[in-house]
Amino acid sequence: MSTAMNFGSKTFKPRPPDKGSFPLDHFGECKAFKETFMKCLRDNRFDNSKCRLQSKDYLECRMDHQLMAKEPLEKLGFKDLLDPPPSQADKDSKP
Amino acid sequence: MLLPLLLRPSLCGVQASVLLPGCVRTLHSQAGHFLRRRLPARLVAQSRGRKWRPQQDEWQRRNKTVLTYIAAAGVGMIGLSYAAVPLYRLYCQAAGLGGTAVAGHDTEQVATMTPVKERVIKVTFNADTHASMQWNFRPQQTEIFVVPGETALAFYRAKNPTDKPIIGISTYNVVPFEAGQYFNKIQCFCFEEQRLNPHEEVDMPVFFYIDPEFDEDPRMARVETITLSYTFFEAKEGQKLPLPGYSYN
Repeated sequence: MSTAMNFGSKTFKPRPPDKGSFPLDHFGECKAFKETFMKCLRDNRFDNSKCRLQSKDYLECRMDHQLMAKEPLEKLGFKDLLDPPPSQADKDSKP
Repeated sequence: MLLPLLLRPSLCGVQASVLLPGCVRTLHSQAGHFLRRRLPARLVAQSRGRKWRPQQDEWQRRNKTVLTYIAAAGVGMIGLSYAAVPLYRLYCQAAGLGGTAVAGHDTEQVATMTPVKERVIKVTFNADTHASMQWNFRPQQTEIFVVPGETALAFYRAKNPTDKPIIGISTYNVVPFEAGQYFNKIQCFCFEEQRLNPHEEVDMPVFFYIDPEFDEDPRMARVETITLSYTFFEAKEGQKLPLPGYSYN
């Protein structure tokens, strides 16, 4: 990895995550959601696009159990999963 | 030069009777000559014509102007060398060189970005621990297929098989190097101390996305696989983190 002693100008600079660090789930409160997500991944040949609903559920579980700061799901990139079908026409007309 | 002039009068004095008229003429011419030499340059210049003084003034003015320009250039160079530091940083951000963060990367982008569905990227996961770190640390999936602009979730698992609590701290690395600037983590478990009690096993999620501008970068056109690699080190009070690659046994 970074064991080579190259002192060139191009070094990898790790950046801290945008929203900080996940607290550890010591009690396994969201383990079930994680298992669902992993099963979905295995079934869909590890295609993330097909398992976004399960990842949304997992993050919601974390938020419910205070393992993650509560955020509106649009900010986490789940805007397309939140649009309720009846008012989709309204959302489409918005800029 | 004045000495022959002084000698001449004495010479004249000796032969005064014979050469008096010639001597007087010589004295007169020499005195005139002597007086002319002592005149200040100003009067000499005036006697040479009206063009010389303004020309000299102009030369002086031109010299002064040139000197001022040179001094200004020198000061300008010094100022430029000071200004170069933030300017270069700005340039690097705009051009994305040296692995610096691409300008415009902010949290608001997550809410508004649209996934680029045509470009599928395989993200492989790697887990390492330092030699003296006794956790079992491994990814729960070897690879995942994502598209830029879509948030993705991945899991690692860590287990503490020992009988005492161990605090770990991790860092990460992204390969290829240039793709690292497009790899944005929303939330993960790195850079903060994580404590595992004896015989405890936890799932560690990483929530990330690849910047949609990844698709537009010509340097990334051939990149199809990105590897995310985490390394855990042990964090203890008063102990310095050992460098990767060295063991302190």
